[in-house]
Amino acid sequence: MDEPALIRNAQHGDLDAFNTLVLAYQDIVYNTALRILGDEDLAADASQEAFISAFRALNSYRGGSFRAWLLRTVTNACYDELRRKRRRPTTPLEPETGDGDEVETPRWLADPNASPEEQLDQVELEHAIQHCLENLPTDFRTVVVLADIQGLDYTEVAAVVKKPLGTIKSRLARARLRLRECLQSFRELLPAAFRLEEKRGL
Amino acid sequence: MTTPSFRDMEQLSAFLDGQLSQVEKTRLEARIQLDPALAAALADLRQARAILRHTPKRRLPCNFTLTPKMTRLRPPLPRLVPALSWASATALLLFILTLGTNLLGQISFGAAAPMMAAAPMTSEGYGVGGGPAATQPPVTDNTQVIPTAETFVMMAPAATPSGEARLVAPAAAPATKATPEPVNLWPYIWLGLAAVLVAAALLIRRASVQAFRRKVGVKHNS
Repeated sequence: MDEPALIRNAQHGDLDAFNTLVLAYQDIVYNTALRILGDEDLAADASQEAFISAFRALNSYRGGSFRAWLLRTVTNACYDELRRKRRRPTTPLEPETGDGDEVETPRWLADPNASPEEQLDQVELEHAIQHCLENLPTDFRTVVVLADIQGLDYTEVAAVVKKPLGTIKSRLARARLRLRECLQSFRELLPAAFRLEEKRGL
Repeated sequence: MTTPSFRDMEQLSAFLDGQLSQVEKTRLEARIQLDPALAAALADLRQARAILRHTPKRRLPCNFTLTPKMTRLRPPLPRLVPALSWASATALLLFILTLGTNLLGQISFGAAAPMMAAAPMTSEGYGVGGGPAATQPPVTDNTQVIPTAETFVMMAPAATPSGEARLVAPAAAPATKATPEPVNLWPYIWLGLAAVLVAAALLIRRASVQAFRRKVGVKHNS
């Protein structure tokens, strides 16, 4: 994929070129929105809105990391969504059983080919992480999602949130500290395979 | 063994990501060797980071590719926008200049201003073009109408009397005879230029947007 050429063509109104970029980045954009917002439908809306905004504002892109530029757009869309959510709080739309318990939707599962045990592990891990992320202030959550979940380096994160490197470093440390405390309460729920891998990592 | 401070934790977090300078890194490594609390904190941070890195990726609910309909709502602004902004600014400047010139002219010429003296405005007069209103009988000798911006704008086509104006004062045309005085044409020139600039700006913008829409439509359909 010749990214600079695609961007140039898209800047001249070539929608096919832009859609090639969308296909390349939609995964990271959607998953970033999902981790910031914690809601699939809101994340899908924010992602679509972000791509439309990006296409309209494409002429304001002046080089540098296109991924960071795009993630900045989706981060802004997520902040807008969170502001709206704060103004109009809603109840989750997860289907419920007769007893009032939420029914797990198949879309929660990342890999349908995994064994039931692995799927359960993934679901539990995801629940734990999402729960802990949602307890973080939005600014911290954004930084930790970008750096630790999406794997951006500090410079890219700074470009996305438009803050100096020192702020990124500080926010990331604070976020990790809080997450560490939160995740400790879920340690027993974390998958066994993952814990083994952790021991190797240390 | 001491509880690590926030500064220590910040350093440990940056150390994990390889964001410390060589000097800072060496110093911190030495401290970690000596302080088990720091080593434990580093292990905890590393584990938290590793857990986050294992966050399962969700499959997309749908593709987010755009359709021409989505983009047609508001196409990206054409590259001529800065030029258009300048044209608008220049037009505004010329407009203000026009008003300024008129007011200055009014002050310097005073009551002897030829057009004003000869043409005390009535609502019927300047409402239909201004020019022929000069043919109406003056109200009093002392009457001096201070023109407003609207007055000047409406007076622009004064050279050609309209039919309606003739209806207002059909027989009075030859009654007065204005003495030939030098007429200040600059306001009309500025105003004309401003109008031309605004019209050009609007036309260019419209053409750009249409060209963009045509391009997007054609590319997508092909």
